[in-house]
Amino acid sequence: MKAKKGQVRVITGNAVGAYGAMVCRPEVVAAYPITPQSEIAELLSQFKADGVLDAEYVEVEGENSAMNVVLAASIAGARVFTATSSYGLVFMYDALQETSGFRAPVVMVNANRETPGIHAVSSGQQDMISARDTGWVQIVVENDQEILDQTIMAYRLAEDYDIQLPVMVNYDGFYLSYLAEAVEIPNIEDVDEFLAPLKQQPERQKLVPGVSIGCGTHGMEMGYVEARYKHCMALERVKNKVDEIDKAFGDYFGRSYGGQIEEYRTEGAEIIVLASGSAAGTVRTVVDTKREEGVKVGMVKLRLFRPFPAERLIKALKGKKAIGVIDRSLCFGWKYGPICMELKTLAVNIGAIPILSYIDGLANLDINVPHIERVIDEVNAAAQGKPYQEVTWIPMEE
Amino acid sequence: MVIKHKNIFKTESAWSNADEKLLCLDTGSWRTERPVLDKEKCNYCGLCALYCPPQCMKDMGDYFEADLAFCKGCGICATECPRKAITMVPEGEFADEG
Repeated sequence: MKAKKGQVRVITGNAVGAYGAMVCRPEVVAAYPITPQSEIAELLSQFKADGVLDAEYVEVEGENSAMNVVLAASIAGARVFTATSSYGLVFMYDALQETSGFRAPVVMVNANRETPGIHAVSSGQQDMISARDTGWVQIVVENDQEILDQTIMAYRLAEDYDIQLPVMVNYDGFYLSYLAEAVEIPNIEDVDEFLAPLKQQPERQKLVPGVSIGCGTHGMEMGYVEARYKHCMALERVKNKVDEIDKAFGDYFGRSYGGQIEEYRTEGAEIIVLASGSAAGTVRTVVDTKREEGVKVGMVKLRLFRPFPAERLIKALKGKKAIGVIDRSLCFGWKYGPICMELKTLAVNIGAIPILSYIDGLANLDINVPHIERVIDEVNAAAQGKPYQEVTWIPMEE
Repeated sequence: MVIKHKNIFKTESAWSNADEKLLCLDTGSWRTERPVLDKEKCNYCGLCALYCPPQCMKDMGDYFEADLAFCKGCGICATECPRKAITMVPEGEFADEG
């Protein structure tokens, strides 16, 4: 099949988020503006005013209400959308858990930004990391095109009858939110067709006027255990489903991203850099340079953060000699970065190899080429049995 | 893992029939006071039923009455009743009913 072509426009990551939502025809949108996401809330409102978006746009007084509005609309059967960042994500913490507990297929984009405590209006993945135990599916993307494509794929995933879970699409705030790139926006009819398989599936339970049914209560003892068990099992099913949808998207639109993880030049690689988000783009170029110099290095880009893609990571990393993990956030209470900490739980499956944790790119600091060169050099030395530092806060050593 | 549990919910999420299953906890045992209605004052406005947290006010046709199996005795119905038709009476006065 010939890949479906769209219209190429040069737009910011935020605008991409808004277009990504619009082409999926959400019926209810509620979003509260927050830096660096505000443009999404503004644009969707504009789309609605222009008649391009046929949705109910609910103006809310804050993010907690935004999430509760889309949750309620979702269990009433609507396709919904919201977007947030940082303080906004934190402000909807209880509603995030309600949403996943109700198994409402809400799709949200989150422009990653540092969290409260130190008022940093700047990029960082701490907000996403802090929401990791809310029961949501969390996906991290690298560039503007991927924001758009992943938002479309998020609907196909969230609303799948076997999944029925909310999906959060994360991209680096500031770096991607304000970066204009050439992005191919698919025709809305093609998106309709891509999402059409959802219509072949059984209908999920919805609120119906006049029928007295309720959701989320009756959860004492075994009712609670059963609902949580089903939720955890659904998260397990997400992993393969992400791969399947990514492949289907590739077949249809001609772009695919590897599903749960992307492996870049991992074949024949002895050492691996594990990265996520926009930094993966820089890692890719440094891997190319180092390969030319004869260093057998590859990159694994983490796309799916929740559920954690354990099986794919084990497969990709088994047999390697050393791994460096770049975290753009912190894991309070552990000295390693959060992604590194989680990777370490797989050490028994991967093998007793050095895993080096790097903290970099906090609060808008760049994860730049020299930093990544340093990571690769140190991981390479560790692979050859040389002593290494377990955890490195790169900016603190400069 | 061998699952012995028999599912309570037919759905993935915890959906249930609001007429029956939502009232599933023995919340009546939490009560220290119960609402007593003066039918002469009640004009069947339904505010008590709207405000009742466990939604246990039964529609009796021309008045509402708390289902004592689920009424927690919170007294919100008595507070909200615009005609002061509901009085909270300590459970001790009904001790003979067990």
